[in-house]
Amino acid sequence: MSDRRREDGPEPSAYRATTDAASDEGDGATAVVELRGVTKEYRSASETVVALDDVDFAVRPGEFVAVVGPSGSGKSTMLNVLGLLDVPTHGEQYLQGRDVTDLTDADQTDARKRAIGFVFQDFHLIPTLTATENVELPTLFDGGVAGSDEDATARARDLLSRVGLGDRLDHDPTQLSGGQKQRVAIARALVNRPALVLADEPTGNLDRETGTTILEEFRRICDDGVSVVAVTHDDLVTRFADRTVELVDGVVREREASEPSGLATSADGGEDETDAGDHEDSHDGTTDDGTDDHGDRP
Amino acid sequence: MTRFPAVLVARRNLSRNRLRSALAALGIVIGVLAIATLGIFGTVLQLSATNELGDIGNQVIVSPNPDAGSDTLTSRDVREIRRAANGRGTVVPLVASGGVVEAGGDGTFAQLYGTEDPAALFEAQAGDLPRVHRQGAIVGSEVAETLSLSVGSVVEIEGNRYRVVAVLAESESITPVQPDGAVVLPPGEFVQSQPTQVVVQADSGSAATATAEAVRATLNARTDRVQVFELSSILSTIAEFFALLNAFLLGLASISLVVAGVSIFNVMLMSTTERRQEIGVLRAVGVQKGDVLRTLLVEAALLGVVGGLVGALLSGLVAVGLAAFVEQISYDVVFVARNGAFLVGGVVFGVAVSLVSGLYPAWTAASERPVEALRD
Repeated sequence: MSDRRREDGPEPSAYRATTDAASDEGDGATAVVELRGVTKEYRSASETVVALDDVDFAVRPGEFVAVVGPSGSGKSTMLNVLGLLDVPTHGEQYLQGRDVTDLTDADQTDARKRAIGFVFQDFHLIPTLTATENVELPTLFDGGVAGSDEDATARARDLLSRVGLGDRLDHDPTQLSGGQKQRVAIARALVNRPALVLADEPTGNLDRETGTTILEEFRRICDDGVSVVAVTHDDLVTRFADRTVELVDGVVREREASEPSGLATSADGGEDETDAGDHEDSHDGTTDDGTDDHGDRP
Repeated sequence: MTRFPAVLVARRNLSRNRLRSALAALGIVIGVLAIATLGIFGTVLQLSATNELGDIGNQVIVSPNPDAGSDTLTSRDVREIRRAANGRGTVVPLVASGGVVEAGGDGTFAQLYGTEDPAALFEAQAGDLPRVHRQGAIVGSEVAETLSLSVGSVVEIEGNRYRVVAVLAESESITPVQPDGAVVLPPGEFVQSQPTQVVVQADSGSAATATAEAVRATLNARTDRVQVFELSSILSTIAEFFALLNAFLLGLASISLVVAGVSIFNVMLMSTTERRQEIGVLRAVGVQKGDVLRTLLVEAALLGVVGGLVGALLSGLVAVGLAAFVEQISYDVVFVARNGAFLVGGVVFGVAVSLVSGLYPAWTAASERPVEALRD
């Protein structure tokens, strides 16, 4: 930790992503989460693997960013660093404008609880708790929704109703389908009113149709001002995202918005489903590896 | 959803694999049952034994020192003994010798005691013990049985005839003044009227010890005029032995509790390893390490509490059964505070063993970095 270097400083390259993003939107809103020159190395006895190499990355409020890249490109590492589950070897990290580079475990945990929601590929629901209890889980141990005295159970039930599980409130996870479990997981991610939801292959274990409904859920979340970062292999996700970032060998590249992106789709919430379906058909017809197709370097 | 989330989550986790939890708790049940029951056994044994030995510990026997050339005690000796024992018990001068008791053509050798105050030392089974013994014989149960005597019979001792005024009860405890094979006569019937010993029937073991010390201090101040025999100090040695026996039994029993602890350790280790990812999720969604640790420790403690309570309940039943079905054991040696303490202590010890056993697995699981735990 002590050897974290600052030699290349935040300027000029470190701010690129942020300024780009800001100019896209036309306002200078503070990034929800920001990585500046973040490098993550894994050292073993024989070799050092660089999982993230001088990454600059920022997410604006309400933005849906998809992170794509081949296996082993550092996507999971990036998500773990963004989610304060892992610490960068070098570089700086900001969460809602606050430097979170050197937090203690307890502070990291607290920041996760307060500001970050997680959605996993395998849903990771606690099998012994009901749907409502699973959603309440992040609020369970220190008495309620972070930063408010709202009743956690009521909020959990409300969130479950909003993701369409109003009739499954007291079901056990084993009684739910994959899509339903993932919606419980989304509700769990939202219970503390986070600024950022991090999703690791959120559609990875779901069929396409179910995956689409989950992605629509993410779009709705973004409409409420919550940012979503999804790490994925699934090209479907990129179509719902505002922006897609490619990660290859630990280096990030912004993907050109050469195709009609999820932005257009998302603008009219009600028609999401049919829209997405259309995209899916046409896209699948051309190639099943969209990443390469649109991978033209700027 | 609850004021004690750790308890709720822990309970749900334990109910996930009921058989495994039940077996882990069973280990504690057996351990606590063993500790509490053996502890209670020890107490019952000790109390029953001290009840048996009770009288011996309360008696001080003062006899003349044969080396001093006298085989009787003088009136002055008796007076001084009375002064020494003042307020601590009853002083009974006793003339003791032996003789043949005959009745209806049969004869038997008997210990002969001469005392004016038989009621202080003996209990009657038939007839009444006279307040002041002036005439007639009081016969011990064995003598009465051998010679088929009852109250009103006539016995002949050394040529004199005595009417039996009472038959003594069979003695239940060990005492140096054995009544069973004895005949108690008025002291005036003996050739030598000076007492050959003085029995002090003290009110308690400690009173007996104090009396013995006082007698030694006054009568044996310059020369050893008397021998003082008292068993209260031996009794405390016996009590020490029982304490040792008790500790030994508890030591044996705690081995089973240690085994139970190992089984809890094993169960907790397995279940936290199985739940590695779940624990990672808890940490990822913002549950602090301490809360995870607490939840896992509550799991171990619940096993201990349930196991301990069941074990103590069974142990209590065993103790009650002991008193109900074993003739020699009475309820008053079972229902004592010390046995209650063994039950409570057994539960406390069981919970403590569970907590200690759960500590390492819980700590390991709670301390694992969520990023490691979530990795498949």
